[in-house]
Amino acid sequence: MKLTIEGVGKRYRGDFWGLRGFSLELGPGVLGLLGPNGAGKSTLMRILATITRPTEGRAAWDGADIVAEPDRLRAVLGYLPQDFGVYPNLNAVEFLEYMAAVKGLPARAARGRIDELLTLVNLTEARKRPLGGYSGGMRQRIGIAQALLNDPKLLIVDEPTVGLDPEERVRFRNLLSELGGERIVILSTHIVSDVEATANGIAIVDRGRLLAHAAPEELLRQVEGRVWEWVLPSADLPAARERWKIGSTVRRADGVHARVVSEEPPPGAKPLPPSLEDAYLHVLEAHRGERMVAA
Amino acid sequence: MRADFLERVRRYSFLMTLVFAAGLGYLVSVGAIKLWIGTARGVYDSAWVGALTAMVVNSFLSLTGFYVVKNSVERDRQTGVGQILASTPMSKPLYTLGKTGSNLAVLAAMLGVLAVFAVVTQWVAGEDPQVRLWPLLSPFLLLALPMMALVAALTVLFETIPFLRGGLGNVAWFFLWTAMLSIPVANEGKTPDLIGMTLVAQDMEAEVDARFGDADRGFTLGHISNEEEAQVFRWQGMDWTPARVLGRLSWFALAVGISLIAALFFDRFDPAKGRMRLPKRKKKKEEVEEVLPALPEHVTLTPLTPGSAFRFPGVLAAELRLALKVQPWWWYAAAAGLVVAGLTAPPTGVRQIVLPLAWIWPLLVWSPMGNRETRFGTGELLFSAPRPVGRQLPAIWMAGVIVAAAVGGGVAVRYLMAGDFSALAAWAVGALFIPSLALALGVWSGSSKLFEAVYLFLWYIGPMNRTPELDYLGATGRGQPLFWLAVTTLLAAAALAGRRWQLHRD
Repeated sequence: MKLTIEGVGKRYRGDFWGLRGFSLELGPGVLGLLGPNGAGKSTLMRILATITRPTEGRAAWDGADIVAEPDRLRAVLGYLPQDFGVYPNLNAVEFLEYMAAVKGLPARAARGRIDELLTLVNLTEARKRPLGGYSGGMRQRIGIAQALLNDPKLLIVDEPTVGLDPEERVRFRNLLSELGGERIVILSTHIVSDVEATANGIAIVDRGRLLAHAAPEELLRQVEGRVWEWVLPSADLPAARERWKIGSTVRRADGVHARVVSEEPPPGAKPLPPSLEDAYLHVLEAHRGERMVAA
Repeated sequence: MRADFLERVRRYSFLMTLVFAAGLGYLVSVGAIKLWIGTARGVYDSAWVGALTAMVVNSFLSLTGFYVVKNSVERDRQTGVGQILASTPMSKPLYTLGKTGSNLAVLAAMLGVLAVFAVVTQWVAGEDPQVRLWPLLSPFLLLALPMMALVAALTVLFETIPFLRGGLGNVAWFFLWTAMLSIPVANEGKTPDLIGMTLVAQDMEAEVDARFGDADRGFTLGHISNEEEAQVFRWQGMDWTPARVLGRLSWFALAVGISLIAALFFDRFDPAKGRMRLPKRKKKKEEVEEVLPALPEHVTLTPLTPGSAFRFPGVLAAELRLALKVQPWWWYAAAAGLVVAGLTAPPTGVRQIVLPLAWIWPLLVWSPMGNRETRFGTGELLFSAPRPVGRQLPAIWMAGVIVAAAVGGGVAVRYLMAGDFSALAAWAVGALFIPSLALALGVWSGSSKLFEAVYLFLWYIGPMNRTPELDYLGATGRGQPLFWLAVTTLLAAAALAGRRWQLHRD
């Protein structure tokens, strides 16, 4: 079970490259694909889901080119796109039966699997309600269920926790962690905590380029001893942002508590254990800085 | 209104709309569509060409224009822009009037293209190359534009009334259009004539009578081949008396009135209104849902047992269920009635009435074929499943064929029992042709409207009006099954090519 991505790029109209020179090799486990909006995550997801053809490079599933032989991958693929629709007049069971047939699942096996999945995504109660009446979160859960219908070897989920309430989000993160043990799961998101909770590998993408691919511990090591908590008056925050790499901030009675990633501490700042968000911001800022210097 | 118009003109479909208008203009300019009063025609000067083109607009663009502009409210609904607009102080009448204005602007752009072609037509004919603006443009402004205003307003009305919003509205418009076109002509102007046909005909006939003597002359707009027999006269143009001008302008007032009526039906994008309203008991279920059971310590999905490698029947059954799921019980009852009628009606009635009716009844079952994925946004889910072209698309097509065969089944049995194998062959070709047309147009247009409009037109002109050249199901007994089989093959190939293109266009 191996997914290989070699120098993949995608050029859109107007000579805009959504993705460029992207290479990665993946085995079983959860890969968290992190990047800001417009970084190229969804483009990569669509290429790997055989929806979009790359302009350059090659992606292969167990050695088979996914452009030349897409059905070899599709047979073992579960895909939850960022935006997807459902047929509003079908209920959950009917929709999943339809998707199971389209995926080529035998009807009897599909029935058992659908019951299992509806329990897993907590939609058993609503199984007979038309999907048109589902809330955004419920619809997202149906999307997750359809992605798991064929017991996929490669599971690609693009911003899967959008629309889920906090409790459902935690539940879904746990589910992904569990599933990642015996298959390749690619989780694309810009929510760092989702990745932190589930991924054993992280790829950081920005402006169509892969900036880093490492285990979470490795990324955390890069910012070890460089994260500080700095309490400052809220009026000083804009000026501080100009000078320091500031991540999250929390307003308290004694001022703004800011997380700063820096070699040297700001005056009066105390050291903090690093988080993945600090590491992510550090990688992004470092590469943006390099690009500005190069320019 | 301006933003809506800009959004629409920047779409690829608007370009296609202009191409369609240009195509109509081309047909006029090369003489494929002509206007005759009896056996007389006017000199191709500005007045004649202006009136001819305006009549073409009112006869053809009034039908297709509706389908072209009918989706502006729906687009706001689907994109979510509607809910943003609903949260602003904008009133419902302002919204519906704005939509009418925007629809009219799109239709007026098509009129603009045709006005240019009118000049081209005049120059190509070469009978009087001098362009006179008022005689040329007045038919556009006073005949065509009021008609387009009414089409624009009716489109908004249809979009705001829930049961007319979808395919049923598209069918209803076709029959309303047919009535608007035929009733005033049949009543010789005694009923209000929106198209303006009787107005133009009376004016032209008066001049023809003055020139060639009184006679009972017909008014023909369309393809006329016996050009050498024409009596040619110079028409002075429409005599725009104040009463006539006021009569035509009153259609604008009616358009405004219809837009305001549409405001009464407009739900202001409230999802709690209309079809998606949930029964009250559903709320209780959502409350129950908040208590989430814990995930098992280890999630294991039961391994799938491999079944038969040939999965087509399963996909076909799924597509058939999907296509028929939304039909109410009375749809099935009427379909069963058509099967019984096919088995029991007199032979001529079976061929000329029962079969055409049987193959218009499932129109809304066929029309989502090939575009359901686009409409509901399920494309990425389906196209990442195995064999979207080799398995799913043929399954959609086959489901459409099964529906045609089932509803027209009584007629087929009847042909078989009578040993009428030529009729049976025409029937079989018809059953293949209709889903092929639906699939090809659905895949390429991404909408059900094109098939609904084209098929209704074909059905009405071909089998219903017994035009042998367009008789795709053998209602006249003089159809050309081999020709339609060839067309069917081309359409099926076009559907396959279209789906391939959809998969690889990025």
